[in-house]
Amino acid sequence: MKFTIYQETRTGKRANNEDRLAHCYSRDSLLMVVADGMGGHYFGEVAAQIAVQTLSESFQRQGTTRIRDPFLFLQTGMLSAHSAILDFAGTHHLEDSPRTTCVACLVQNNVAYWAHSGDSRLYLLRKGRILTQTKDHSRVRLLLEQGAISEAEASTHPDRNKIYGCLGGQQTPEIEFSRKTTLEAEDVLVLCTDGAWSGLPGDTMATALKTNALMRAVPTLLDQAEANGGPHADNLSMIAVRWQDTYADESSGGSSVISTRSMPRDTVTTRLDEFGRNPSHKTELSDEEIELAIEEIRSTIQKYAK
Amino acid sequence: MVQQANHPLPAAFQLDEYCIEHQLSLGGFSIVYVATDGEGKRVAIKEYLPNTLALRSEGRTAPIIAEDHLPAFRYGMKCFFEEGRALAGLSHPNVIRVLNFFRANDTVYMVMEYEQGRTLQELIQKHRAGVTENFIRNVFTKMLNGLREVHSHRLLHLDLKPSNIYMRNNHIPVLIDFGAARQTLACDTPMLKPMYTPGFASPEHYSQRELLGPWSDIYSVGASMYACISASTPQAADSRLDKDRLVPAMVRWEGQYSDQLLETIDWCLCLNHRYRPQSVFALQKALTEPVVAPLPQPKATWLDQMVGKLKKSRNP
Repeated sequence: MKFTIYQETRTGKRANNEDRLAHCYSRDSLLMVVADGMGGHYFGEVAAQIAVQTLSESFQRQGTTRIRDPFLFLQTGMLSAHSAILDFAGTHHLEDSPRTTCVACLVQNNVAYWAHSGDSRLYLLRKGRILTQTKDHSRVRLLLEQGAISEAEASTHPDRNKIYGCLGGQQTPEIEFSRKTTLEAEDVLVLCTDGAWSGLPGDTMATALKTNALMRAVPTLLDQAEANGGPHADNLSMIAVRWQDTYADESSGGSSVISTRSMPRDTVTTRLDEFGRNPSHKTELSDEEIELAIEEIRSTIQKYAK
Repeated sequence: MVQQANHPLPAAFQLDEYCIEHQLSLGGFSIVYVATDGEGKRVAIKEYLPNTLALRSEGRTAPIIAEDHLPAFRYGMKCFFEEGRALAGLSHPNVIRVLNFFRANDTVYMVMEYEQGRTLQELIQKHRAGVTENFIRNVFTKMLNGLREVHSHRLLHLDLKPSNIYMRNNHIPVLIDFGAARQTLACDTPMLKPMYTPGFASPEHYSQRELLGPWSDIYSVGASMYACISASTPQAADSRLDKDRLVPAMVRWEGQYSDQLLETIDWCLCLNHRYRPQSVFALQKALTEPVVAPLPQPKATWLDQMVGKLKKSRNP
């Protein structure tokens, strides 16, 4: 497999980031997961973390061999995340279980399989166009399909955040599966949370990701989405992967193409942030502290120089 | 995030009192240069430049750091200081010396001694046929002197591997790259992103970081010795916990190296941290013990020995 991949999450203008995202790959398969947590206190974060972690861990467990039934893998992963969230709520005596959306995509043998619950989306872009995208499990989406409201009304509808499919809720989650989709070279898969897509027309995304290097295009798109989100911009996250059959040399991207053929057979590479506060939440070093640290190190060097 | 190449500072660039000669290595967290100081002495300079947060394009001096990356960039700087602090207080022939530390170009630099040589990794790659028993005993006994010094300062290296053991041309090994080192007693830094190398990192590195101790570095020493003989990276500890496919050194190379050395390697590579040598001193003792001439032994001895060892370490 050859691909370039980029993931980024931002807090927006919120107090904390309840989005989580992860990707892992072995020689033969690639898994990407995005989750957007909901719930009081910081529990939304926990639900989202449980979702990406459960799926990543089950990938790590079986990912070194080819996954026989990708849809079953996605379903089992999402359902066990659902149970794990309920267990968490039980152990901590939470009245209301935290919930999370989840969209996960597995690529194997050039074929993509995905599943989602809630309003985090997957887009498949080909030649600068949206080839297909997931349908949100939201009230607004239903109203839109029934023709009761227009696209414009949907984007401002008071119920636009009400979703009916999610992991961790009272009911067994509604999980919708894609069809087996064969990827072509230069296809781009985008997984993102509502904070990202609500501020970005799909066409803009498709055009921006057509040829530009992902590591430049994705941050630019997120900038735009964040700006459109205004003073209360929601958390926004995006994973984008460009499928490549050839070594398309990205002029300034350097060696950013991942080729899994050179990987040992028994290795899984994972990009999943540790649970806990994001380092960027930490109070940063001030200039004075930097000077102080350097001074301290220099004086230690002096002391031991003899 | 995928690697992106940061452009190194150009040759002949005057950096503080140093003149850059060329780039030595490029990592995800930093760039290392060879440079000369005011007196014409060669030094190695490590530049803090995490490629996920700061980007230097060609022809520029200061990296571009997006405003929202600045807190993370500064936070990572703390880890870089940690490495500086760790090394500054150590003065040992088998540990790389820090000579200076300074701030320039919106980032920070650590100046270290530089000597001709190559990493143990490069040496292993060159001698694919495998290295001799004497070589292993020699290099590791000396290297362990340095590690002992590190541990006695209540520090752990946490990223020991052949590519972090630098062999001077006079065959003296030096421990380099303390980027993962942590003051074990200062436990107020749970957010530091764990940094380790699969194959060389102990099982504790992956999940139970509160169990990290000298025995974790010792696992990495065992893995490095194993890699010296096999010329490849051993199976990663997390996957060993799942299904252990690492052939014990004693089984794989019996007869080619002394039983005592092979047993010592297997001892270091025990998955349970309590079954490994608990201190560098214990390991050094095993490595310097006079080798007893191998006795004719019945088959499956290694198993008996392993079982015996487990018993021994359970009831010390």
